[in-house]
Amino acid sequence: MFFRRRRGMRGEDYMIRSLDDFARIAKEKGPKKLAVLAPEDEEFMLAVKTSWQKGYIEPVLIGNTEKMKRVAEKVEFDIGGFETIVGDDRQAIADLGLSMLFSGKVAIVSKGQIPTAYVYRSIIREENKAGSGMTVSVVSFWAVPGLDHLVAITDTGVNIKPDLKTKAEIIKNAFFVYRLLGYPKPRIAVLSGQREIGGTLASYRDYQSLREVAASGDLGDCEIVEATSFTEIFLGGRGHPLDYNSMNMEMMPHIVLVPCLDAGNILCKLDFFLDVTRCSLVATSRGPACIPSRADSTDNIVEQLAMSVVLADRMKREVK
Amino acid sequence: MLTSFKEIVEAAKVSGAKRLAVSFVKKKDIDLLSMAAGAGLIIPCLVGDGKAMEDMIKGTPLKSLKHEIMDQKDPDKALSKAIGLIRDGRADMLMQGGHDHQALMDAVMDAKKGLRKGKLMSYISLFQLPKQKKLILITDTFITNNPTLGEKQQILEHAIRLAGILGIVAPKVAALAAIEQINLNIPSTLEAAILSKMSERKQFGKALVEGPIDIDCALSEAAAARKGLRSIVTGNVDIYLVPEIDSGHLMAEALVFFGKMETAGAIMGTTNPVIMNLPFVSDESKIVEIALAALMCKKGGNDA
Repeated sequence: MFFRRRRGMRGEDYMIRSLDDFARIAKEKGPKKLAVLAPEDEEFMLAVKTSWQKGYIEPVLIGNTEKMKRVAEKVEFDIGGFETIVGDDRQAIADLGLSMLFSGKVAIVSKGQIPTAYVYRSIIREENKAGSGMTVSVVSFWAVPGLDHLVAITDTGVNIKPDLKTKAEIIKNAFFVYRLLGYPKPRIAVLSGQREIGGTLASYRDYQSLREVAASGDLGDCEIVEATSFTEIFLGGRGHPLDYNSMNMEMMPHIVLVPCLDAGNILCKLDFFLDVTRCSLVATSRGPACIPSRADSTDNIVEQLAMSVVLADRMKREVK
Repeated sequence: MLTSFKEIVEAAKVSGAKRLAVSFVKKKDIDLLSMAAGAGLIIPCLVGDGKAMEDMIKGTPLKSLKHEIMDQKDPDKALSKAIGLIRDGRADMLMQGGHDHQALMDAVMDAKKGLRKGKLMSYISLFQLPKQKKLILITDTFITNNPTLGEKQQILEHAIRLAGILGIVAPKVAALAAIEQINLNIPSTLEAAILSKMSERKQFGKALVEGPIDIDCALSEAAAARKGLRSIVTGNVDIYLVPEIDSGHLMAEALVFFGKMETAGAIMGTTNPVIMNLPFVSDESKIVEIALAALMCKKGGNDA
């Protein structure tokens, strides 16, 4: 049974504007059963503990038992009462967690100390097995101070150099997720490194084509804005002088499509530089796979789990 | 070692005024040139419609400062003349005036009459970190679309040279990619690994290149350690070498607009410094670009 990607939103869905909204709603909608893939370091295990204490999740721990026990002890978390599944092989852990998600045994999967590539591989396999035909892509939300909505950056994890067709699918995935936040018509920016010199970039040609596709209604009820750079978004064009006082933050679109994986990964993880917070997930056809970076802090992982709980709840209501 | 934009300006003042050629200067740039000339950084050489320029500087501080006006009413010829002044040794640096970016670049890159030094020109964005006393360089953020490995090598060498001008003797370089492991399907990881190996063999002098490295590992030593990556580069990068222009340009813009970080830039690979008008460089930072250009003239002559 797939999540039905409906174009309409339920009227009772509260519009989510911030990570605090996720945290508040996750308390109401939790606990959700969560398969955690290799929570084998302290930061991650502490995030699992905190999320459980907050009532977001009921964890199923998959990984090296000794390592999980050791870090659980260090963060004073008694994992004796939770389902624990032994696994050492990274790919086998990811495969098991994703099969649990696709069989409905858990509502969410979250990456722990495991390279992301294994998780993506498992998701793609499960989607293929399920015959969903879905293009797998990652959405990374940014919470930006001073902005009244979250910014969804995509694809930040899977597609190395997506072609136009794949980019359209990536937009559809992000569009689906963003509508779960309660926005009926999100605005989308298709980014490019297009400048005043150097000819026309492939990413810019894709922007032009995607604008046409969006105008025809094939991407759903969304708008692709007439801007491919942050300069154009915030200053209204590339000929205007930089003035932070006249910068209009509200011009920031809801969804940002990046040109390629390198650009996506670099941009979304600039939270290590900037005063923004990042939360990443793959909205699979059976529920959210939470994709924190192995380098993320405990607090940030907890925020990402709260996001996944809320989206799992809203996706569940999309079931046919 | 220079660690802030202010220090760049102060250091440039010491080096003495350089002759700056600009054709068809825009009215909005007169204040900037006045400020730079007043600070002893430059002597402006304005090439263009003589009467129009006389009218433009009337009543501005530049009128009473040392400057030169050369009459040439045709914009294309004025640009050629400004470049010619530099080629003849009568000016030290070029600033973009009223010409668009592509016209300027075409003229500068002209093999016979331009200022191009080698095969490749690149652009470096300099950022002043708000929380640390440190300057970082990100390249290429404006000129090269999809550099080959050989071009990346040159872009990196340009950045190492600019780092040297700033007094960073052994720069730590992050050769960025989407992930920190080599993935044969992701060309940027392979190229970063090769550059890293070249650095290991001292092919970049004292510079230490780590790659492939993802941005979180580059920015945070703790983040890198959690991924099992230990290097003196992590958390203390001087030069960020980006995979291609989409990443580089958008990264620089993101720091400017989301981080509100001031940036200044420099073109490398020319015989003399060339200052461009980039949309995300503030008026305040343009004087830093002039100062940086002056320093580039001083250190190693016209070794831009």
